[in-house]
Amino acid sequence: MGVPTDRPAARERLLAWFERRLNLTEIFSLLSIYGLFYTELDTRKPLRQALREAVARPLPSYARWPRLLGLLAVGLFVVQAVTGALLAFYYQPTTEAAYASVRSIVRDVRFGWFVHQIHRWGAQLLLAVLIVRLLRFFYDRLYRAPRELLWVVAVALLAVGIQLELTGRLLTWNSLSYWSTTRGLEVVFDLPVVGSILAFLIGGHEVGELTLVRFYFLHVAIVPLVFAVLLYLSFATIRRVGLSPEADEMGTAGRGQYVAHLYNVAVLLTLIFAALVTLAVIVPAPFPGQADPFATPVGVRPPWYLLAAYGFQELFPTFVPHWVSGALLLLTLLLFTALPFVEARVPERAQGRRLVFLLGIAIFVLWGACAAYGFWLDMPRGGGG
Amino acid sequence: MKRSRALAALGLAMALPLAGAAAHAAGESRCGVCHPDVRVAFERGVHPREGVACTDCHGGNPRTLEVAEAHRGSFTARRARKEIPKLCASCHADVARMRPYNLATDQYALYQTSRHGQLLAGGDARVAVCTDCHGAHDILPPGDPGSRVARRNVPGTCGRCHGDARLMGAYGKKDDPFADYMKSVHASALLEGGNPRAPECSSCHGVHGVAPPGVGDVDKVCGNCHEPTRRYFMDSPHHDGMKRAGLPECAACHQNHAIARTSAALLGSLCESCHAPGGKEVELGRAMLALYTGAEGEIERASDLVARAEAVPIDVEDYRARLEEARTYLTEALPAAHTLSAGQVEHFTRRSRSIAGEIGSEIDEKLHDLRLRRFGLIVFWFYALLTVAVLIAARRARQGGTPS
Repeated sequence: MGVPTDRPAARERLLAWFERRLNLTEIFSLLSIYGLFYTELDTRKPLRQALREAVARPLPSYARWPRLLGLLAVGLFVVQAVTGALLAFYYQPTTEAAYASVRSIVRDVRFGWFVHQIHRWGAQLLLAVLIVRLLRFFYDRLYRAPRELLWVVAVALLAVGIQLELTGRLLTWNSLSYWSTTRGLEVVFDLPVVGSILAFLIGGHEVGELTLVRFYFLHVAIVPLVFAVLLYLSFATIRRVGLSPEADEMGTAGRGQYVAHLYNVAVLLTLIFAALVTLAVIVPAPFPGQADPFATPVGVRPPWYLLAAYGFQELFPTFVPHWVSGALLLLTLLLFTALPFVEARVPERAQGRRLVFLLGIAIFVLWGACAAYGFWLDMPRGGGG
Repeated sequence: MKRSRALAALGLAMALPLAGAAAHAAGESRCGVCHPDVRVAFERGVHPREGVACTDCHGGNPRTLEVAEAHRGSFTARRARKEIPKLCASCHADVARMRPYNLATDQYALYQTSRHGQLLAGGDARVAVCTDCHGAHDILPPGDPGSRVARRNVPGTCGRCHGDARLMGAYGKKDDPFADYMKSVHASALLEGGNPRAPECSSCHGVHGVAPPGVGDVDKVCGNCHEPTRRYFMDSPHHDGMKRAGLPECAACHQNHAIARTSAALLGSLCESCHAPGGKEVELGRAMLALYTGAEGEIERASDLVARAEAVPIDVEDYRARLEEARTYLTEALPAAHTLSAGQVEHFTRRSRSIAGEIGSEIDEKLHDLRLRRFGLIVFWFYALLTVAVLIAARRARQGGTPS
């Protein structure tokens, strides 16, 4: 087989060689569904021709760049996958070795600190992007038929993203990560049914050796897979139903060609990566001592994305059993996930839909208020430990 | 009396090979039938297990239940206090008898040299005899935590008499050494700190030959533990000066019983209790204090930097070891202050300062290298923005002027 050279003829030959043996267009179409193309590729044509046609198509309004949040999520997920794989070369998931192996990644491995910080900040940015994306869907009423699945999948993506962060947070096995995971899990264990199943799956209510190994496996295999599938579903619905509220906005003339979208993607990914690098260098995560199950450091909170759930449960007076507040929390979340279906049952005329929208806003505001309360609860105060 | 004890000893000697009988002597004896409380106390102690019987000290006939018969002959209900040391010594000064227990036999001789022993010989029966410290019946070895003479219990045992103001007043003693000791750093180390080697009364005063150390001996007693401090003190002008002035060396500044935890701050305050304020002696104290706090601050700074470096993380194992070395030199500076020579103190503070300073500047350098990463960011952003600009320009070119 010839080595590809600069000469176009050689490249052409190589492409043709593969084209005869594989449907490259089909493969590319499968990959490009992750937000690269919102339009379909003609898989019967050779790759070059199919791309040329797709690129020349008119640009739909929703593919203009303030709205490419899903694409940012994909970009960040890829960054996480790459940096995660690099970290896995050195990481050892046992309670004895975990802390020392992370320390040697950050301290001794060349540019290990960089990969570690990018991975950590990438996770936070990914969650932030998923939350903003959910807000945008809500604000633009992108949960209404036929986009119910888009909403449900977006909520599920956030939930699974939280799983990813929570399982990854513990792996460093330092005092802050250990205790914030413990505090976070306390919130989750209080949920009825879900909590007990989860406690069983991760090896009990105590965070220990079993939890670490299971979290490692979940973090590197199961949860990313689920996340990738959900991302695929998210873009699959977009391909089918489009994103903008008005279906006829699709393919309006005079807005440029699809190729502009590809440039936008490149610009956005460059910028988000630059933001990541900046955060990793300027605000590096501190590196506290090894986890000690017998000593809680001062000022440990549940992870920021669980603060609201924690604040919500602490709102109730102590005589209310935790499963009651947990059940209320679970119910609120289910209601929120089922928003499109709830709204569909409300009559359109009687200002009912407006009420549902306000209810949604109320849930968001409550979420923010509970998070602030949860943050305030664990403020280190003078004197008290 | 002698005969009966000899008989009892003979009986014991015959009984021993018959049975490995710890319980033999007490078991054979019927004294406990009428004196059950005494028997219970006695059996709690170590003596019955070693075959010592009631009659060995009290005489009488242990085999009968007839009161008159049992209390016949050499029987003595309560031994006179004056006789007790001699009675105990009849066994405990017997080398052959004590050899298997590996026990010393000089206690009686030592006791006779002690203040207690001398007063007793003078006819004063209020002083401590063996039973006052060891108990009469329930005598336990000093290794037993329940013993009155276990290390942690010694202060309380001595304090029963020496903390009794009325009893001590009779000897013209006004201070309360027990209360003073309980306030001391030694008491808190022994009783709260769990340091089994911290001194109790007998560590300084002696055990059976107990006597207060006189002026001129105090530094030797303290020097048994505070060895380097004494060495430095002996080089100082205080050593001869205090002797001439009749001041009890260490105790003159640190008290005799209420010995407080010391700190470097004493260098700034203690001198004025003897020397004129503002005098050159007081100034010397301040100068030594300044040397100490200067080095202490340097170590503090280095240790903060080590903590910061560890949070980065930078490898700090080596720095920790060197910080410990600096602290060791600083610790040595305080005993060295007893020479009253600023040069001696500086000898140690200078070393500890220089080590701490080295650590500080090395870590500073490494942290500075980390700050250089931020300059890398500028270069990175330059290329990132360049990429963005190129991409936007390419898009414009590609779109051929159509507004986007």
